[in-house]
Amino acid sequence: MSSVLENLVNQPYRHGFVTDIESDTAPKGLSEDTIRLISSKKNEPEWLLEFRLKAYRHWLTMAEPAWPNVKYPKIDFQEIIYYSAPRPKKLASMDEVDPELLKTFEKLGVPMNERAKLAGVAVDVIFDSVSVATTYKQKLAEVGILFCSISEAVREHPELVRKHIGSVVPPGDNYYAALNSAVFTDGSFCYIPKGVKCPMELSTYFRINTQESGQFERTLIVAEEGATVSYLEGCTAPKFDSNQLHAAVVELVALDNAEIKYSTVQNWYAGDENGVGGIYNFVTKRGLCKGVNSKISWTQVETGSAITWKYPSCVLLGDNSIGEFYSVALTNHHQQADTGTKMVHIGKNTRSRIISKGISAGQSNNSYRGLVKIGPRAENARNFSQCDSMLVGSKCGANTFPYIQVQNNGATVEHEATTSRIGEEQLFYFASRGIGAEEAVSMIINGFCRDVFQQLPMEFAVEATKLLGLKLEGSVG
Amino acid sequence: MSAVGAKHPYIESLLRGYEMPRSGISWLNERRAQALERANALTVPTTRDEEWRFTDITPLTRVQFQPAAGAPRPAMADLSRFIVPEAAARLVFVDGAFAPALSVTAGLPQGVVVSPLAAALDAHAWEIEPHLARHAEYEREVFIALNTAHLRDGAFVRIARNRSHPAPVQIIHVSTRKEAAAYPRCLVIAEAGAECTLIEDYAGLGDAVYFNDAVTEIVAGEGACVRHVRLQRESGGAFHIATCAASLARNARYVSHTITLGARLSRFNLNVVQQGEGAEIEMDGLALISGRQLADTHSLMDHARPSGRCQQAHRCIVGGAAHAVFNGKIVVRPGAQLTDSAQQSRNLLLSDRARVDTKPQLEIFADDVKCAHGATVGQLDPEQVFYLRSRGLSTERARSLLTYAFAAELIDRIPVPSLVERLEETVLAQTQGNERA
Repeated sequence: MSSVLENLVNQPYRHGFVTDIESDTAPKGLSEDTIRLISSKKNEPEWLLEFRLKAYRHWLTMAEPAWPNVKYPKIDFQEIIYYSAPRPKKLASMDEVDPELLKTFEKLGVPMNERAKLAGVAVDVIFDSVSVATTYKQKLAEVGILFCSISEAVREHPELVRKHIGSVVPPGDNYYAALNSAVFTDGSFCYIPKGVKCPMELSTYFRINTQESGQFERTLIVAEEGATVSYLEGCTAPKFDSNQLHAAVVELVALDNAEIKYSTVQNWYAGDENGVGGIYNFVTKRGLCKGVNSKISWTQVETGSAITWKYPSCVLLGDNSIGEFYSVALTNHHQQADTGTKMVHIGKNTRSRIISKGISAGQSNNSYRGLVKIGPRAENARNFSQCDSMLVGSKCGANTFPYIQVQNNGATVEHEATTSRIGEEQLFYFASRGIGAEEAVSMIINGFCRDVFQQLPMEFAVEATKLLGLKLEGSVG
Repeated sequence: MSAVGAKHPYIESLLRGYEMPRSGISWLNERRAQALERANALTVPTTRDEEWRFTDITPLTRVQFQPAAGAPRPAMADLSRFIVPEAAARLVFVDGAFAPALSVTAGLPQGVVVSPLAAALDAHAWEIEPHLARHAEYEREVFIALNTAHLRDGAFVRIARNRSHPAPVQIIHVSTRKEAAAYPRCLVIAEAGAECTLIEDYAGLGDAVYFNDAVTEIVAGEGACVRHVRLQRESGGAFHIATCAASLARNARYVSHTITLGARLSRFNLNVVQQGEGAEIEMDGLALISGRQLADTHSLMDHARPSGRCQQAHRCIVGGAAHAVFNGKIVVRPGAQLTDSAQQSRNLLLSDRARVDTKPQLEIFADDVKCAHGATVGQLDPEQVFYLRSRGLSTERARSLLTYAFAAELIDRIPVPSLVERLEETVLAQTQGNERA
């Protein structure tokens, strides 16, 4: 690897600062008391506390999954702070938001006011675990869309939350989903009523601030019949030497003819170049195409986290429903990613499409793990999957584990995978055209990821392109 | 000396009455003892084990199998349909025991040894010692451990340096007895520059329920070439669990054709390790199953050294309520640059109760490599069916012809003409059988 490539990859983490805000923090450790504390702090109804306790009791009986292709020291769940909130203060408008906090967002490059206005984006900001402010709520309320923190939704619309929470990812679904169900502190809730097309992109920004705090947010999006919504999520965290756990659950429900598009740009702190620190990102994301002709589309750009372990999935229950998954996962230094998707075809004429691009650099390890399952009643189901890997440097690894399970002979499933690298010859060609190595790498990567970037909303696409460039600085040469 | 004291009751039952085969060769006694120790310690895999996720071997564990003793000897006439006329040498094992009367080992050219393993141990010990039970790892696989603990006899084929032996060597394992367990074993050594063709044939006479736990080890020296045809045509009630471990030196070539037709439940592990630079591998696999059969193939292509090339094609044709499983793993180790490895898994489902689970898997730790895999599951292309119908064929006939063609593409590549002919007949009969069903 030449020095140009090396410098390219070793760009320092730009979002690594700690915001000093007084926060209301629960003592370390996990027990039924911790859960009761969280529940009481948030003034939750009894059924939710029951939901949490049930999940917790189930979690106690479960074992940490060993099958992902990632290595990390055992997590001590008693060393984690499960609740950390900025001191409560009633916020009437954005102007009342803690200036420290606003500065944080500025440093992150998300000046909320401006960005919201310019881009027409409504941002629900999750800082550690409590939603700080929600903009554009008014405008959304006019068309009947509910977009608020999940805690607020529990207070204001308990019947909706109660109906859908845990319906896609049951509390005992897997180890981390059970943990999340027990201790989730906040997250976003979005409800699009029947026939409404959401007039703007909805967006959430997550940030983990306190050292040793785990972030357990929970997102629930429900699109009623004929509703359409596009939802964006971005994530960052400051630099700490210790590892932080992030175990989120995202549930999407699409009813007849509804469409949900969910995009993520994940740039949690990935640890330093020696693999010290960084976020453990163990996330369960699942969408349920409950109604006929419904559609759920996941787009993700995963560049951060020391370890990523997530499989945004679609359960295609309704006839003619469509699931899509577009992913770019980039790993560098000692990062490990085991990510992919699950497409579970249950209804007739269901279709799914998977495009996954994995880029590994440094000493990182990048795995695609996917499942395409065609149930016995999924007549005429169709799937196309493509997962390509690119290796930058000779010390990294790229793996693919696609599971294909077919129980219906009317189904057509296609899967393709390739592996390639940025070769000396390609760089030489660029050089002969007067394009330096860094720019050449950035162009090659962008070409490689084009199919996925095209799916991102415009501003995110620009950001993602830049992010990949930054992440890879110094890895080619 | 280890004694039987298995952790798992089923393994205990398989080892009931076990007596360690005695021989004066200390290294062999030692390996058997170690294998027995592992068999005692390991448990029967369940669907909770990733490697056995889709293959539930509970039906196997419901039957008590005992090693066959004093089995009836079939006559030559019973075997005639299995015999390949091109073969220059033939070893026949009946229910795991060598049958000299049915075998042909005479008249081989110098440098070519085809012999029962037990008889070869004295004369060829120095050649056998570095390889026997050294490539098929009994440390982790209970069925390899069981086979190795029972290692008494087997087939031994050795081609000396730079010798070419173009006529195929056929090894037939015939099973006749119900509720008998056999542990077939085979060791093939092709020295540097040697060339040979091996036909390994597992056949059942009658419809008995029996269990074959087979292990084959193949060693190809520098620049050697081994062609390996493996036929699994066990009886419809049989259980067949087998491992073939091939180790390839620099520039060696290994071409394998695996045909799976029989057994109620079969599992075949094909583990190929490229130990030297520039080895070349071709792996064809065809499973043609129906009824309630389950056929599981797990292949591992381990590119441990640079510049290896591998082409793999695996096809399953699944009718009735049968279930085909394929797991094809390609590993490119750190430093194995310039590897070129490609894998295709294609599956045809002929009925609405048929099921396929396929998992191609790439694990790549070197950057200058070309690796690709593809997998498809589907039914026959309606346009092709339509085309044949426009030529006057009935839908059923068009379908069976296309199914036949799907299989014939792989069968045609088998380097033994008489076998190609007979297999194509088998496939045709079966696809027409499906036609009627």
